[in-house]
Amino acid sequence: MIAKRLAALAAVATLALAACSSDPSASSSAPAPTDSNCAAAENLCIGLVTDTGKVDDKSFNQSAWEGAVAAADELGGFAKYIETVDSKDYASNMQQFIDRDYDVIVTVGFLMAEATVEAANANPDIVFIGVDQDQSAGTVPNLTGLVFPEDQAGYAAGFLAAKISTTGKLGQVLGLEIPPVQKFALGFEAGAKAANPAVEVTTVYHPFEGDGFNDPEWGANEASKQLGQGIDVIFGAGGNTGNGALREIAKAEGAGTSIFCIGVDADQWNTVPEAQPCLVTSAMKLITLGVTDLIKAANDGSIEGGNFFGQTGLADYHDFASVIDQAVQDEVAAIVAGLKDGSIQTGVSLG
Amino acid sequence: MVGVPKMNAVLDFFNAHRKGTIYSLIVLVAAYTFYFIDGVRSTTMLEFAWRFSIPLVLAALTGLIGERSGVVNIGIEGQMLTSAFTGFFVAAFTGSLIAGMFAGVLTGLAMGYFLAFVAVKWQMDQIIAGVVINIVAAGITSFFYVPGQILTQQMPRFAVPLLSDIPLIGPVFFNRGFFGLATIVIVLTLNFMLFRSRWGLRTRASGEYPQAADTAGVDVIKLRIANVSLAGLLAGTAGAYLALEAAGTFERGFTGGRGFTALAILIFGAWYPMRALAAALFFGFATALASQLQADKVVDIPQQFINILPSTLTLLVLAFAAGRVRPPAAVGAPYSKGNA
Amino acid sequence: MSSVNEAEVDSSSIGRKVWDQVVRYQSIVVPVIALVIAFSIGAILISLQGVSPMTAYQSLFRSALFSPAGLERTFEKATPLILTGLAVAVAFRVGLFNIGAQGQLLTGALASAWAGFTFTSLPGFLLVPVAILFGALAGAMWGSIAGLLKAYRGVHEVISTIMLNTIALGIIEYLISYPLQEPGQVLSRTPAIADQAKLPLFGFLPSGFFLALVSAAIIAWMLTRTTLGFRFTTVGKNKFAAIYAGIKLKHTVVLSMIFSGALAGIGGAIETLGVVHRYESGFNDGIGFDGITIALLARGNPWGTIPAAMLVAILRSGAATLQFDTGIEPEVVDLLLAITLLLVSLPIIAKAIFRDRAIKNDNVTSGWGS
Repeated sequence: MIAKRLAALAAVATLALAACSSDPSASSSAPAPTDSNCAAAENLCIGLVTDTGKVDDKSFNQSAWEGAVAAADELGGFAKYIETVDSKDYASNMQQFIDRDYDVIVTVGFLMAEATVEAANANPDIVFIGVDQDQSAGTVPNLTGLVFPEDQAGYAAGFLAAKISTTGKLGQVLGLEIPPVQKFALGFEAGAKAANPAVEVTTVYHPFEGDGFNDPEWGANEASKQLGQGIDVIFGAGGNTGNGALREIAKAEGAGTSIFCIGVDADQWNTVPEAQPCLVTSAMKLITLGVTDLIKAANDGSIEGGNFFGQTGLADYHDFASVIDQAVQDEVAAIVAGLKDGSIQTGVSLG
Repeated sequence: MVGVPKMNAVLDFFNAHRKGTIYSLIVLVAAYTFYFIDGVRSTTMLEFAWRFSIPLVLAALTGLIGERSGVVNIGIEGQMLTSAFTGFFVAAFTGSLIAGMFAGVLTGLAMGYFLAFVAVKWQMDQIIAGVVINIVAAGITSFFYVPGQILTQQMPRFAVPLLSDIPLIGPVFFNRGFFGLATIVIVLTLNFMLFRSRWGLRTRASGEYPQAADTAGVDVIKLRIANVSLAGLLAGTAGAYLALEAAGTFERGFTGGRGFTALAILIFGAWYPMRALAAALFFGFATALASQLQADKVVDIPQQFINILPSTLTLLVLAFAAGRVRPPAAVGAPYSKGNA
Repeated sequence: MSSVNEAEVDSSSIGRKVWDQVVRYQSIVVPVIALVIAFSIGAILISLQGVSPMTAYQSLFRSALFSPAGLERTFEKATPLILTGLAVAVAFRVGLFNIGAQGQLLTGALASAWAGFTFTSLPGFLLVPVAILFGALAGAMWGSIAGLLKAYRGVHEVISTIMLNTIALGIIEYLISYPLQEPGQVLSRTPAIADQAKLPLFGFLPSGFFLALVSAAIIAWMLTRTTLGFRFTTVGKNKFAAIYAGIKLKHTVVLSMIFSGALAGIGGAIETLGVVHRYESGFNDGIGFDGITIALLARGNPWGTIPAAMLVAILRSGAATLQFDTGIEPEVVDLLLAITLLLVSLPIIAKAIFRDRAIKNDNVTSGWGS
């Protein structure tokens, strides 16, 4: 009996060994470029560290990662990412790439700003790109902050919203109250007032701390409440929370004819296709393009420290191009152009 | 003379439920006063509260059935999350919401059975079993998440004849989809079953005094396994509702602690289905109020203070008004024949 | 069994001796077996992703344990986990389920940060203990609310601690966004603590880790060797016996929550002084809830929180390298943990191996009822 049980113990151990040693042949399926020799000058290695989030988050982490992949494809380089789970690991996650002599390290999110500055100072030979990280102080030559005038995209979206609203009531369903979101929201309100001073803008941020960007149910509930109160154009800005709002509006009666929604960050016609029935446009910040451009600049040596302003603007109207009055479209286009050349100011500043 | 016995029955009912009746009347009067002052705000805020409550009530009932029969279930969060996961992905891959609903609800059943099996049959510590369910659920649904899937259909909405014409209550409760109606039916049925049926008596007995129930011929272990498994159906329904109707998507960890809020609601509701419903609506209304205060900018207080309103109100009500509530006596203790 | 020949008796007597040792140390053997099984299941999952499990585990452990930076990270992660694990374990002793370690940890972290950037004229040997004391007091205060509500108003601790977590977070977010915010900062965070308040590092060993070990030792001693510990245990095991023995139930409940909150608060203080060096929104997420896992893995034993926290810390610390080297998502370590927790707590393993000699597990969480 005892021998049997000891044997059982041994069996568990063998099972473990067997499971560990069952080396699948699939491990040889890695694609051609690798990071085995990033130190060599001709090999371009791009590392990306996410904010506490995943690279498939339909939001800024995903956009940045797509930018890195696009750059790697174009330049024949290699891109890899690490998804941060704990904010305290920002530095050690960057260190993984530093230890392997990566050429470019992209860090995503303004929360990582400080850790990125430290890493950039300690590793002057590596180019750092900080998405959403303000480097207007600009003291680190090998660190470029990719920042966006979110208020401009919000302004244009707000202007359009006020023009297509029939009730004169606009709503915003937002994620956490943090600077990039605030800039979108304040810009939206300013743009709406510029189009029609009588317009009412209802602004609601996600009320619970912590998961403010990952609560599609709350986003949907809040959007439904706003629709019930006579609001007919809603700006959903806040990751999955905002996406929840867009999906809910798309389901509502009158979606696309009397009720509209506006997306954020990317062209959400593609990222949240369920929202197409109501989605007139999206207030975009072109993170993907900005990251790709900066990596290319890093590769040819033309990159500079300090801030790099990425592009913002409105996404294509897609099917709504035929719904929105041509006159309105022209006015919005003029606003976008004016914002770009500086003749129109949003007047938004975060205290 | 025919009407008299009926009249007596109604009076008896009110005598037996005097407190509940008075409270309900106060709430109703308050709600309709609000409705006549501001019809739009009252309706939309109540609708917000009800939408918010649906998964919470279902989840709280999952816990309620378990605890009434003597088994703590703190794995509701994980049960909801896995159900939402399978519900959404089956619906997305097959293109059929019905298939998704079945998948979600059945996943709930399977998760319920898992808890029942390890906690009742194997007598594993019930709270640990729940914690394990939560961690496994978070890990699995995150690990096997597939990006880029969408629902191609949407849950139909329909109006219940007559009932949906009642001002305020009608549009809120009787002009929604399947899940909202199902929740109302489930609350009423469970309330009836728990206090008026043989199953209810046996369930309560095995939660309060399993030894006595056993002596009286109830197979406590079998009953607990059946109840905890079936309760999983409700968590499954909550998960399916979140993924297929409320949010229309699945995201990693998007249940966001609703399973734990449901535990609070279950205790707030003192282990009674109707009171749990009331507690969930209260919590939902406080949340609606928080966002409405933000929207209307009526008071100039920092947003953070408005946001803690629901929790603070709940705590204050419990501390000063509700007084002591008592859980079923044998909750948490594994039962095996002859260990009495 | 009755008719065995000489040779068999000989070999089985050696076997018996080995077996006796195995049985004697089954509280160690069972978790080890559980770990082995969990890692085997993990290996299967990893191979399904087309990665060699051997490579995967190697990079996980190499990164967590075989470099000074990795070790430092691992110990830093283990430190608050030990303390929140202890916080939950102490409450378990009295039959209370403290889901509120998270809120208590946050209040402690903020209070110590405040002390750290306010009393900047104090020298380090005074400021560090003062800041930790502030953390402990704040955590204890926050924990005591749940204790008082439980003892005097009959509010169930599960509901009150869930609510108190939200309330703590809301109040703290307000404080770090307005009155206590670092001047000229858009982020919600406090100023940095004074340099002399930062906990020193001994090579790769953070000094906070020693504080956590000492806390575990003190709690172990308190629970087993003091009258207070006896009171806690008696109330947790049998309330009626406790009343009969003249133990004041309400005092004990409040006191245990004060202890529990203070431990979580110290955990927060060490995070602030040793790792974050300020209070910043989002930097202390989830540690309090991990405390529940730790306490359960340790089966409520204060000493057990140390290996349990180390296990969790190693897995979390190595997860990034695992993803870097193999592309496996970091969530896989949570699966490993969950399976381990399941197997450790399932009596079935011990019963299958040791049969009637299996130690019967007490329910660590006896006190849901009332």
